[in-house]
Amino acid sequence: MRGTRAISRIAIVGIVIAIIVVAAVVGYFLMQPAKKESVLIMGTTDTVESCLDPARAYDYFGWEIIQALGSGLVEYRPGATGAAEDIVPALATSWSVSSDGLVWTFNLRQGVKFDDGTEFNATHVKYTFDRGMGIADPEGPFVGIGYSDIIENVTVVSKYVVRFYLKIPFSAFLSLLACQASYIVDPKYAPPDQVVEYKAGDARGSHPMGLGPYRLTKWTRTAGRDQEMVLEANPNYWNASGGYPKTQKIIIKFYADSASLALAIDAGEIDIAFRQLSATDINNLKTKTHLKVWEGTGAFIQYLVLQEKRPPFDNPTVRKAVAAAINRTAIVNTVFLGQVKKLYSMIPIGMFGHRDAFLTLGDPNYTLTRTLLAPLGYNETHKLTFKLWYETSGHYPQSPELAQMLKASLEASGVISVTLEGRDWAQYRQERIAETMDAYILGWYPDYIDPDDYIYPFLHSSGGSWLHHNYNNTEMDQLIEWARGNTSQSVREQLYEQIQDLMVKDCPIIPIYQGSAWAVTKTNVKGVYLDITQSWRHWLVYKE
Amino acid sequence: MTLRAYIISRILLTIPMILILLTMVFVIMRVLPGDPVLLHFEKAEHPEAIEEMRRKLGLDKPIWVQYFDYLFGLLRGDLGKSMHDFSPVAEQIFSAFPATLELAIYSMIVAVSIGIFLGVEASKSYNQPKDHTIRVFGIVTYAIPIFFLGMIFQIIFAVNLRWLPVGGRTYPAMEPKGFTMPLSQPPGGVTTHLFLSCVAGLIVSTLCLVAFKLKGKKITRKILGVLISVFLATWILWAWVGWHFISMGELHIATGLYTIDSLLEGNLYKFAEAIRYLILPSLTLGLVLSGVFIRLTRSNMFETLRLDFVTAAKARGLKERTVIYGYALRNAFLPILTMMGLQFAALLAGAILTETTFSWPGLGRYIVERINFRDYTAIQGAVVFFGILVSIVSLVTDLLYAYLDPRIRL
Repeated sequence: MRGTRAISRIAIVGIVIAIIVVAAVVGYFLMQPAKKESVLIMGTTDTVESCLDPARAYDYFGWEIIQALGSGLVEYRPGATGAAEDIVPALATSWSVSSDGLVWTFNLRQGVKFDDGTEFNATHVKYTFDRGMGIADPEGPFVGIGYSDIIENVTVVSKYVVRFYLKIPFSAFLSLLACQASYIVDPKYAPPDQVVEYKAGDARGSHPMGLGPYRLTKWTRTAGRDQEMVLEANPNYWNASGGYPKTQKIIIKFYADSASLALAIDAGEIDIAFRQLSATDINNLKTKTHLKVWEGTGAFIQYLVLQEKRPPFDNPTVRKAVAAAINRTAIVNTVFLGQVKKLYSMIPIGMFGHRDAFLTLGDPNYTLTRTLLAPLGYNETHKLTFKLWYETSGHYPQSPELAQMLKASLEASGVISVTLEGRDWAQYRQERIAETMDAYILGWYPDYIDPDDYIYPFLHSSGGSWLHHNYNNTEMDQLIEWARGNTSQSVREQLYEQIQDLMVKDCPIIPIYQGSAWAVTKTNVKGVYLDITQSWRHWLVYKE
Repeated sequence: MTLRAYIISRILLTIPMILILLTMVFVIMRVLPGDPVLLHFEKAEHPEAIEEMRRKLGLDKPIWVQYFDYLFGLLRGDLGKSMHDFSPVAEQIFSAFPATLELAIYSMIVAVSIGIFLGVEASKSYNQPKDHTIRVFGIVTYAIPIFFLGMIFQIIFAVNLRWLPVGGRTYPAMEPKGFTMPLSQPPGGVTTHLFLSCVAGLIVSTLCLVAFKLKGKKITRKILGVLISVFLATWILWAWVGWHFISMGELHIATGLYTIDSLLEGNLYKFAEAIRYLILPSLTLGLVLSGVFIRLTRSNMFETLRLDFVTAAKARGLKERTVIYGYALRNAFLPILTMMGLQFAALLAGAILTETTFSWPGLGRYIVERINFRDYTAIQGAVVFFGILVSIVSLVTDLLYAYLDPRIRL
């Protein structure tokens, strides 16, 4: 009797479970949404640091999305090297500059419409720049790059003509207009005196852009990190008649670290993995036949800064001796598995004006190091000793390994002894401003794509004051100001040559390496351009 | 001491506890080198910009003013704004908490079921090969690093078999919305609404009356008073809550737990997706946690199975399963329950490694990130939040104790 009851109970439970399973499976397939539009799924480990308002956004990923949602007056053609002829029309169709380089006039594209049908005109350009410089958000690019030091005012000449009056002749002005901070905002979503921040559940109200190839249709963040983002093609895009954007919908998935991003692209969960894959993961993915690994010029550089306020680095000979003892080949091959490039100049490879200036000091040339240090009394028994500082919280890639390798290569000279000091980024940042560090490693992403952005903020006495390395050379300042103010590319190239020679003579900063840009995609993904601008051009990418 | 007094005193005790915690964190964060103001400037910083930012973050005031400002804010239920992105800290914590909670619940279910089942099996065959195998299994899962086990699972089930996703909580643009019912204003406006509330009150009080009647009691004046208060309370509640929802235009219930929201929404596809994304993280975390439960169950069950009442139950001819799970396990359960409470509280504070391995958008990563950024307000907010959570969990554990063990009931 008890046996039969137990059996019937088991039978009932079994039937119920079977019904649930069948219902779930049927429901799963019935409710599965149909997929017909062209969709690309991108994966990244990045997140928008602050917001998507160009008045404040000043981080890589924020700018990447701003570039998809907005347009500037001009932009870089795919495959650009940062030269003047790489800048092509976008919202402006043509432009001219006065002979003194102080007045720039732009003719605007006609018939371009915002989301609600308002036509784009010169007042929007003026509004954008007046707003950015007016809000002057302390952490935003308008303050960081110093727009107000460059632009005197923006004047509406007629509906389709706008004129910029500059305070100083500024040769990189077009590059500045091509950077995402200069992208045009939609006044309806951009209050004149307030930064637009993320609003939960309101993707359109969370950014002030418009006019770009895409619209932001979904943006959710949990705990201050992006969780989901959906971009959909903007039918009003000014280049829509040209067939752009090529993909209707882009979904962005966010991964916690390089390892999970690499697994996701390997598992076919995403079509594109862009930033940040570690060197090991990239090497591993290169062996997969179902994936394509794209390598492009990177604009990220890392360099060693020397404190000139006090001995030993107040002496240029000591600085030069250190520069001669850096083994970049070992760093590139050991730390980064050959996935970055040796850098012998502040101006990155692939940009006009670049030359391997520091190669004259060898790579490494320990004989030179010893010869330079010997007269100063440094030798095998009395070594040059200093502390080398680096950050430990992952702000830069493979920092501790890089510092270890630098120490090893410096000490291989036999006359230098290095102590390593690691700090997390918050503390490192504080030490820099307190000027307590003798030698410290930093990194740089460009704001605008021009040699000026790699020279002025480092070697000019006022432009480089944020580094706190106390380098001050009036001859250098003069050369930099000339190069900034001249609009002739050949003259500028000559000036940058002199600047780099002078830099090797003074050695205030020693360039170490230049990162490459990496993307891993499925083999059927086309239209990826990884050039010096570091931009991901969403509108060119498509799946076959 | 009655149970009610006990609960109240426990709740009151959490206040000084949280205050001490908060003060410690407040001081430690500010003693730590590093300055959130400077971290807003990756590149060039201008002295005026730094001053402006310091003012904006409220760090220009003396430290004791900051402390009391924060405390008074806390009294008003305001956790302040993040020093990293200026959004409200409470909003950020609550946006990530459901993810953490869902992961914690499912991994706890996995850990406890595996742990208790294997622990019982081991205790039944004490010191036999089966017991040794289970013990080794327990030790290995306990010692294995979460990220390693997680990655092995990812490589097998996501990369090679492609059955399950590598990470995340759900496919983007698939987020379950929960239950939403559109509400329209009644045609008669406020008057009709109040009349309807009156009807609701009548219905509820009639039900009460029926309940009393069924107990076979006469309607006394006391019962009548109770009925009138029930009617009034229902009327006011119904009128107020109903009008509140109507004015919002819709009734929206969403827990943030995707498995529940998808069911509320009635979308089995989303439910299956939510489960699919949950399997690997909860299995990984659950397996790693199960080691503790295996060992605890095994040793406690071994003790209990030797007691007289088990022998007596067996002698009465009860089924072995009934004896073990119905009688012995209930007696051996108290230490397991304590461990469950402790582990669950720890899980709520974020399983940072699991969350990173599976890109799970929970609280663990948030806290690590914010410590790196010296986001004072976010860390303080998280500590207060966890303080409250942990005390709730331990209170619930203690109450369950009383339920399971009649001797503790007072």
